[in-house]
Amino acid sequence: MMSTVDNPMVYGGGTAIQILIKQGILFADNFVDLAGIPGLTEITADAAGLRAGPMVTARGMETDDRVRRVAPLASTAYRHVANPRVRNTASIGGNLAHGDYRLDPPPALLALDATVEATSVRGTRSLPVRQFFVDFQQTALAPDELVTAVRIPAQPTGSAYRFVKYSSLSANDWPCASVAVLIAGREVHIGLGALAPVPRYASFDATGMTDQAAVDAALEVIAPLLDPIPDVRGSVRYKRRLAQVIVEDAVRGAWKDLDNA
Amino acid sequence: MPETPEKTSRQDWVGGRRARYDALGRVRGVVGHVGDQPVGTCAHVAVHRSTQPHAAIRAVHTEEALAIDGVYAVVTGADLHKRFGEALLTGPAFADQPALAYDKVRFVGEPVAAVLAADLATAREAADAVYVEYDELDPVYDLDTALNGESYVHDELRPSAVFGDLRHLDGVRDTNINYEYRLRHGNPNKVSGARTVRGEFWAPPTHHVPIELPCTVAWVEGGRLEMLTTTQTPSYVRQTIADLLDLPLSRVRVTTRPLGGSFGAKMYDRLEPLAAALAWQFQRKVRLAASREEAFLLTTRHGAAITSTLTADAGGQLSAATADVAYDTGAYADVGPRITAKSGMVAPGPYRIGSVDVRSRCVYTNKPSAGPFRGFGVPQVTWSHESLIDELAHELGEDPYAFRREHLLREGDLAPMGTRMHSADFVGCLDAVAESISWDTQPDRGTGRIRRGRGVAVGVKAVLTPTIANAVLQLNQDASATLMISTVDMGQGSDTIMAQIVADVLRVDSRRVHVVRADTDVTPYDTITAGSRSTYHTGNAVRAVAESMRVRLLALAAEQPEQPEQHGQPERSGVDTGELDEERIAEIVHAHFGARGATLTTEANFTSSWSPYDKETGRSEKVTEHWFAGAVGVRLAVDTATGRVHLEHLAVAGDVGRAINPALVEQQLTGAAIMGIGHALFDQLVLDQGQLVNGTLLDYQLPSIRDLPDELTPIIVESPHDDGPFGAKGVGETGILAVAPAIGNAIRDAIGLRFTRLPMTPEAIVTALESR
Ligand SMILES: Cc1cc2nc3c(=O)[nH]c(=O)nc-3n(C[C@H](O)[C@H](O)[C@H](O)COP(=O)(O)OP(=O)(O)OC[C@H]3O[C@@H](n4cnc5c(N)ncnc54)[C@H](O)[C@@H]3O)c2cc1C
Repeated sequence: MMSTVDNPMVYGGGTAIQILIKQGILFADNFVDLAGIPGLTEITADAAGLRAGPMVTARGMETDDRVRRVAPLASTAYRHVANPRVRNTASIGGNLAHGDYRLDPPPALLALDATVEATSVRGTRSLPVRQFFVDFQQTALAPDELVTAVRIPAQPTGSAYRFVKYSSLSANDWPCASVAVLIAGREVHIGLGALAPVPRYASFDATGMTDQAAVDAALEVIAPLLDPIPDVRGSVRYKRRLAQVIVEDAVRGAWKDLDNA
Repeated sequence: MPETPEKTSRQDWVGGRRARYDALGRVRGVVGHVGDQPVGTCAHVAVHRSTQPHAAIRAVHTEEALAIDGVYAVVTGADLHKRFGEALLTGPAFADQPALAYDKVRFVGEPVAAVLAADLATAREAADAVYVEYDELDPVYDLDTALNGESYVHDELRPSAVFGDLRHLDGVRDTNINYEYRLRHGNPNKVSGARTVRGEFWAPPTHHVPIELPCTVAWVEGGRLEMLTTTQTPSYVRQTIADLLDLPLSRVRVTTRPLGGSFGAKMYDRLEPLAAALAWQFQRKVRLAASREEAFLLTTRHGAAITSTLTADAGGQLSAATADVAYDTGAYADVGPRITAKSGMVAPGPYRIGSVDVRSRCVYTNKPSAGPFRGFGVPQVTWSHESLIDELAHELGEDPYAFRREHLLREGDLAPMGTRMHSADFVGCLDAVAESISWDTQPDRGTGRIRRGRGVAVGVKAVLTPTIANAVLQLNQDASATLMISTVDMGQGSDTIMAQIVADVLRVDSRRVHVVRADTDVTPYDTITAGSRSTYHTGNAVRAVAESMRVRLLALAAEQPEQPEQHGQPERSGVDTGELDEERIAEIVHAHFGARGATLTTEANFTSSWSPYDKETGRSEKVTEHWFAGAVGVRLAVDTATGRVHLEHLAVAGDVGRAINPALVEQQLTGAAIMGIGHALFDQLVLDQGQLVNGTLLDYQLPSIRDLPDELTPIIVESPHDDGPFGAKGVGETGILAVAPAIGNAIRDAIGLRFTRLPMTPEAIVTALESR
């Protein structure tokens, strides 16, 4: 269908699209509403991890028992999106395809090494989330491609995680900075949101490190990734500072859980 | 307390906590607002807005817009000016704002042309197709350029003809200052102070963001201009439109629906002059509905810069206060000149101070116009005086609470501007909040990342004076009543408390009293619903109209033959019922007319008076009918790593004279405090070169439920006013006055840094901590 109508646009939950329409900066001639297509709202879990359809809502990811068990970091990140009304409507496919630099779920999906299943008339391909966010408001999806699933590997047993979202003005505002940290085995994975024109990812090997050393190493690996966009929510300088604070908080918090485990 | 009579519970009367009569309807969305009303066939209007902050209009090209299918007409400011002449310029203090700009534009977003079309989408599309050629003029982006530069937003000042006290400003050229108020008492410069504190304060422009958006529908019927509009000022709008269209008042009708919030955003000249001009010009029904983004451009709260000092003499007495206040009123004066005087006169604060010198100026810039906003400019000067006195206390090694307490004005004291204090219990309010936040217990200030502190602040504001209120009461034979007033209920609950007042006087169930919503064909003149004036002014008129009904009923009863003792209720003796109750009223009216369903009508007026400011000193024996006194106490924690402030407890007290309905008073105090929290911490309009940067709800910051303090305590203080209805005064603004400085003072207590610029964002706090 995407290849048969003029200037089409996929309609997921519509929470982003409606705003763009209202702002008068969206020009699509036809909307293809995914809500009518069966089977896109399914979540399945196996030993390897989760597979979630694109029309699963953020709220669904937040509350689903399997998601909570298999990838609690993902569930936590989805819980931080906006408010229950938006979460009940926003789809996870739309959240990814929107490609906005400051959405909350992408940092978690980066840390978890999730993959996006993209489908078009040419077939289906698998795109690692770590290669998905190409540029400001731009993803690796081709114009006629649909997100048909998100695969999230299971968090290994004995891993620890933290998601920290910080809003600099009203507490319910969009994030000024967000970070997802997953410590699995010796590897520390860090996903950053709102701190550069795209969500960013970094990792390092923490073998033999103390918590302080891990914090220092984390701050070192994120430093070159920070490229914040100044806006009413904060200057470049402030956002850089915040990045350090929340990354330290997240790494320290996760490390503590490891120690306690 | 007398026993509760059976048929009418105390809940319904003065002092009762009756819920708003329309609370459920508002929450469930079944109360119809103006924008919800079906309007039938009409022309939908969209406006083309200026892209320039300051420019002469060279040409407006409308051909392309006119060619679009479904477009009825495109009108430019020049078209309207040709038709209506100088009457196109309106405003409550200065006649300076055109419904559409015609000679030049004065802010980015100013309406330049209007499109009438079959539907809104077409109208908007056509509005985009209008093309304007400008000759750019030097823009005046800020107060500094306005005061020191050579570019003028208006070529000459145009005070409204109706105000004698502004006449001397008529035609004045080469200035951006449209009004200056000066208060002088004693000689502050001669005072040799033991200690002086000084500050340069800034409170930014903000927006009201009522949930309901402004909407106006206007049409012509029987040669009359009729209008349904979201306004707090129906009587004012009627006069403005009569003047604009050169019609007698009887040929203009302004009606309202319940407003979904306003806070000053829907006052004076918003969409109404343009709607009236278009409806009249084309003799057809027009509908103007502001989008959220457009609403941000309609009016704002004044940004204000204040340079001020406070001096204590060697004996610790407050010997002098000075303040140089500049209100940024944007492109149009609106009510700015009034705000400038009323707020300037309280700039020294509610303290016993030997000498004062205040200069308060209202200044034009090329920004969206600023107008009334909950507090009428007073929160901005409170930010200054409550920060100063706090700092002075710290410098003198005094406890900020005790220091204020010692110097606060008491009953009977003469305030610095020359008016006596009555029913303004600052000490009671301050004590109440200090107790509520356990002032005496030192906070655990902490040594690590989280620091804690506590702060208090006091606020004073005068009620708008002089003003006029009228009420007409129609008593139905079945002892129900219909009250006609032009007070607009916008969620504050005025319809509910006015019914309580009538019910209390007549001893009937207040649910039997219907308040007719403002309709200038029916409801009598009332100055405005604003400035927290209605409970006192309209409340007095309502009380009087009910009293006169009571007298009337008793007189009728006296004329009527003796009734058998059928209703002699001995238990009534403890209550001063004037021998009335619902059954008795029904009998009296029935006996008088000999008919069921007959009506009796009474009317009453209440007008307050003042003595104008002395030309030399700015002082006045009676500058206001009464005072609002409020205080706020705060306990908070500052995260020194992120700069984020977490409010642990906020207590807000207001002296309301007497609470007609304590539940509604508490809600006003609470709501005002929440709004004040936003202003203290993050709420502001950000402009860059005259362009609004955050004028959408995606970016504009309002307090959310998660920004509320862990504990929020509203406290009612009652020191009855001699002339208030049952001793009552209003409360809409009292709670907001002192919020920002109380929070600033608590931050000072927590981290030792004094902030003088609002809002105190996390970034501002971190930056200050870093540069310490
Ligand atoms: C008030 C508000 C507050 C918000 N706050 C936050 C927040 O705090 N944190 C946060 O992370 N996010 C926040 N959001 C953003 C929200 O998460 C996104 O708008 C949402 O996830 C987008 O999903 P959707 O299904 O509504 O997308 P839509 O609006 O339907 O679509 C968005 C884009 O994705 C495309 N698209 C949709 N589905 C697919 C698909 N399956 N395949 C290919 N393309 C597709 C559409 O064509 C469109 O370009 C907020 C949104 C609102 C309205």
